[in-house]
Amino acid sequence: MKTKKDIKFFINDREVVAKAGETILNVARRENIYIPTMCYLEKVNPIASCRLCLVDVEGSKGSILSCQTKPTENIRVKTDSAHLYKQRQNIMKLYDVNHPLECGVCDKSGACDLQNKNIEFGIDCQDFAVKEPHRKIENWGKIQYDPSLCILCEKCVSTCNQAIGDDAIELKFGGYSSSVFLKNKNSKTLECSTCGECIAVCPVGALISTDFKYSSNIWELNKIIPSICSHCSAGCEINYEVKHSSTLNHESKIYRVTNDFENSSICGAGRFGFNFANNPHESNLKNKKFDEVVNALKKAETIIFNSQITNEEAFILQKLKEKLGLKLVNYEALNLQKFLNAFGRSSGETLPNGKIEDVENADQIIVVGSRIIVENPIVRYAMTKAFKNNRAFITYMHPVYEHLLHNVVRQFIRYEVGTEEGVIALLAEALLGQVLKFDLDVGYVSGETNVGEEELEKIFSIGKKSKKRVLIIGSDLIAHVKRENIARFLGVIQKFSNIRILLVPEESNSLGVAKICQLDEKESGNTVGYNMNGNYIISSLKNIGNFYIPALNQQEGTFINIDQKVKKLNVAVPFNGLSLNDIANKILNDKNKKQNTIEYTKNIFGIDFDSLENMQIESQEIEIDCNEMPHEISKLPTFDGTLVYNSRTFLEFNPFSAISQNVNINETVLIGSEQFATAGKISDGDEVEFEILGEKFRRKFKIDRNMRGVIALNPVFDKSLKSYLLSSIYKFQKVKIVKVAI
Amino acid sequence: MSLDAFKNRNIGSQNYVPVNIESYPTTGWDKFKQVVKRGIGKELFVGLWVVLREMLKFKIHTVQYPSEVLPIGPRYRAVHKLLRLLESGNERCIGCGLCEKICVADCIRMDTRVDENSRKEVVEYSINLGRCIFCGYCAEVCPELAIVHGSRYENVSEQRAHFVIKDDMLTPIDFLKQQKEFPGFGALSPNADQLVKKTPLAY
Repeated sequence: MKTKKDIKFFINDREVVAKAGETILNVARRENIYIPTMCYLEKVNPIASCRLCLVDVEGSKGSILSCQTKPTENIRVKTDSAHLYKQRQNIMKLYDVNHPLECGVCDKSGACDLQNKNIEFGIDCQDFAVKEPHRKIENWGKIQYDPSLCILCEKCVSTCNQAIGDDAIELKFGGYSSSVFLKNKNSKTLECSTCGECIAVCPVGALISTDFKYSSNIWELNKIIPSICSHCSAGCEINYEVKHSSTLNHESKIYRVTNDFENSSICGAGRFGFNFANNPHESNLKNKKFDEVVNALKKAETIIFNSQITNEEAFILQKLKEKLGLKLVNYEALNLQKFLNAFGRSSGETLPNGKIEDVENADQIIVVGSRIIVENPIVRYAMTKAFKNNRAFITYMHPVYEHLLHNVVRQFIRYEVGTEEGVIALLAEALLGQVLKFDLDVGYVSGETNVGEEELEKIFSIGKKSKKRVLIIGSDLIAHVKRENIARFLGVIQKFSNIRILLVPEESNSLGVAKICQLDEKESGNTVGYNMNGNYIISSLKNIGNFYIPALNQQEGTFINIDQKVKKLNVAVPFNGLSLNDIANKILNDKNKKQNTIEYTKNIFGIDFDSLENMQIESQEIEIDCNEMPHEISKLPTFDGTLVYNSRTFLEFNPFSAISQNVNINETVLIGSEQFATAGKISDGDEVEFEILGEKFRRKFKIDRNMRGVIALNPVFDKSLKSYLLSSIYKFQKVKIVKVAI
Repeated sequence: MSLDAFKNRNIGSQNYVPVNIESYPTTGWDKFKQVVKRGIGKELFVGLWVVLREMLKFKIHTVQYPSEVLPIGPRYRAVHKLLRLLESGNERCIGCGLCEKICVADCIRMDTRVDENSRKEVVEYSINLGRCIFCGYCAEVCPELAIVHGSRYENVSEQRAHFVIKDDMLTPIDFLKQQKEFPGFGALSPNADQLVKKTPLAY
C-alpha cells in the first residue's frame, strides 16, 4: 500500500514505510521498535531537549535525533549499539547530577521516568558533580513546583503552550540554574485555567498536585477504573484511581484522576473535581423511606430534572412519565430540543455536523455565544491546536472579553448582550452573502449588535481563503428567546456552505436527554425534583434532598457527548443504597423487572452496555419539508444597566465539582473589571448583594485587571441544586447591585 | 540445571558419627533378663537419685515462664517496632511505602499526609499480625531502619483486630532513652562504612 509520498527505509534492518510527515520515531513506535525518550509527547511538537532518542544512520557522521528527523529514501537506521548505549548512559548521568535522593517521599516514585530510565541504563553511580544553587519550592495554588527535582524536559511548557493555550509557564534559561518560571513575573500564583495538565505530563515529581501530595504512594492505587468525566459535554476519558479510605476504614475512596496525557488533555474540573460520591443515609435502605419516595412520585404531577444524568436515567424518567402520566420538565433540554427541531427544519439534518476533530483541523474558527474556556475546555484545546498547527484564524464573539484566549484568538468581537439573533444573521450574511440573499438591514443590525461591518468583512475574506471552517455555537444561543430563528440561520449555513457547525450543549448529557425524553413546557402541581429543587427531592448531591441516589461516579450508564458519541460511565465508588431503577421497578410493576439500570441501554441504543464501544449517533436526513428559511429580524432587545454573566469558574462547573473540592462557599467572588467597579460604585473587596430569579447572592467583589467591559462574572455553582436552574436560563442577567455596609 | 540434579539422592561420604545402640532382645529369655536388670538392678534408682540430688541442691533448670523468660538473639524476628531517631526523637519512618509494597502477606497498611512543615507524615501504620508471616522483608527493605523486628513474641489479645497500630509499635517519646541502636534483622552490617561509594565533590 505504498503511495507516492511514502518513504521506504530501514530500521534495524527491517523495512518500514513512513507516511508523509512522519518522523523516524513515529514510524518506530508504529512498528513496535523501541527508542527511549524522556521529553517526547505525542500531542505536542517534538521538544528535542532530552536527546535520548538519538539513532545512527549508516553512512552519516554523528547521531541524529529521531523525534524530529524525517527519514529519506532507503536510509538504514540503527536504534541501538554499544556507542548509543554509552551516550544514553551519559545523558542519564547528567540528569542525575544533584537530583535529590528523596524517592522515598516523592509523589512520583514508582511511576517516574527518571527512575525507570536509570534502571534501564544501569546507572548505579554518579561521575559528575556540580555546586548546587539554592532552589526554592514554589507553591502555585493547586500546583507545586520543585525546581531541584526538575529535569528541564520542557514537557509542561510545551503542553501549556501548544495543547492548552494558557501559556502560563516558560523556561528561563540560565545554564545549570535554568528552571520553569511563571510567565507573569509579578504574580505568585498561576494565572491559568488550572487544568493541571503540567502535573500529568511531568516525568518526575517536579510538578505535583498539592491536593494529592503525600496522600498515597502511587503503586497502592492499584484499582484504576476507566470512566468518563461527568462535568461537561466533552465526556473526556479519565481514570479514577481508587484505594481504601484509610488504614482502619475499608471503604473505597477516589484519590486522584489521571488521563491519557500522551494523546489528550483534560481540564481542572475533571482532574480535581472527582470527590463527589454520595454516601447514602442509613434510612435510605429502610422500607419506610422507599415507600415515601414511591408515594411522592405517585402523588406528583411533575418531575423536574436536569441534564447531568445518564441516558438510562432519562429513559426511566420517560417510562415513569408514560406510566404515571406525569409531566417531565427540563428547561435546558427543552430549549435544546426546540433549537434542534428548528435547525432540522431548515438544514434537513437532525444534528449539526461539527466534531471536535474538525476544530483541530480547521483553518477558520468562529465561536459565538459561549464562554468556551469553561463551557467546554476540550473545544478550547482543539482551538489552540488549530492555531498552533494550522495557524487557524479564530474569531471569538462574546460580550465578555476572555483574557486567557488572547494567545490564540486573532479577532475578539464583543457584541451587545441580547443581540445574538442579529449577530448570527450578520454572520450568515457574511458567510453566505454570495449564495443566498437575506432580508436584512445590515446597517441597523450592525449598529445594534455592535459588530462592525469591517469585522464581518474580515471574517468573509478569511473564509474565502480557508478550506476547513468551523462555527462553534454556545449555550447562550440555545438559551436565547429567539433560539428558533437562530437555529434556522445556522441550519441554512450548514446546508449552503461547507462550514461545519459544532454545538456546545450546556450540560454533560443535554443531547441524550433531548433525544430520549418528551419534555413539557411548564411544571404544575406537586413536583418531584430529580437532582433539582421540588416538593420532594431525589438527589445524588451529597446529603441533599429527601432520597439519596448514587452520584455519577457511583453508577454505570451512558452519555451522549458533544461529538454525538455514546460514552460509558463506570462505577468508581460503591453506593449501598437504592437507585432510580429500584423505584421504577416498584412503580412500573413490570413483569420483566430490570435488575440493573444498564439493562435499559439496550432499549435505547439497541446494544448491550457491555458490548457498547465507540458508538456514534449519526445525524439523519429529514426528507419532508426542510426548506424553512430564517425569519426576518424584528427589533433587537437592549440590556441596559448592571449586568452579570452566570458563569462557571475554571475548577467549579456545577455543585458536584464544587463539593468535591471543598470550596469554601463564602470565598466565591463576583469578578468584574475596573470599569464595572466604577460604574457600580464599588471597589475591590466590597461585599455586595444582588438577586437573580429570586435567589439572593451575597458575594465579595473582586477586580480582575485582565477583564474588560461592564459585565461581571457571577459563579452559580455554590447554589446547590438551584444552580442548575440558574445555568439553564439566559446567562446574562440584569441585576441591582447593593453594597453591604460592614 | 536439569531436574535430574535435584533428584540425585546420593549424599556421598560425610562425617557422620555412628551411635552404638545395643541390639534389642529378641527371645523371651533375653527380654526377661532385661526386665530383671532394669527393675531390680540399680538402674531405676539412678534416675530417682538424680532428681532428689538436684532438689536438695535447689538447682532447678526449668524456666519459670511467664515470670521468667529466656533471652533471645538480636536477629530474632518477633513483633515489629517503629523506631525514633535517637538524637531528635523524630519518627524514622518517612512513609516511602516500600514495606507495604514488599509485604508478601499483604498485611501492612499506612496512611500518609502533608504535615505542618510540608513534610510527609505517617499518620497511621498497621500490621495485621493475623496474616503476618514474620518473614522480615519489611525490616530488610526499610531504608531508614524505621521498622524493625522487636523481641516481643507474646501475641495474646482478645481480638485479632488489636494487632497492631502505630501507637503500639512506635517507641514512646518518654522511653526514647531506652531505645538502643538496633543491631538486629535489617540493620546495617558492621562493615557498612567500607561499602559506601563516594560521590564526586567538585566544591
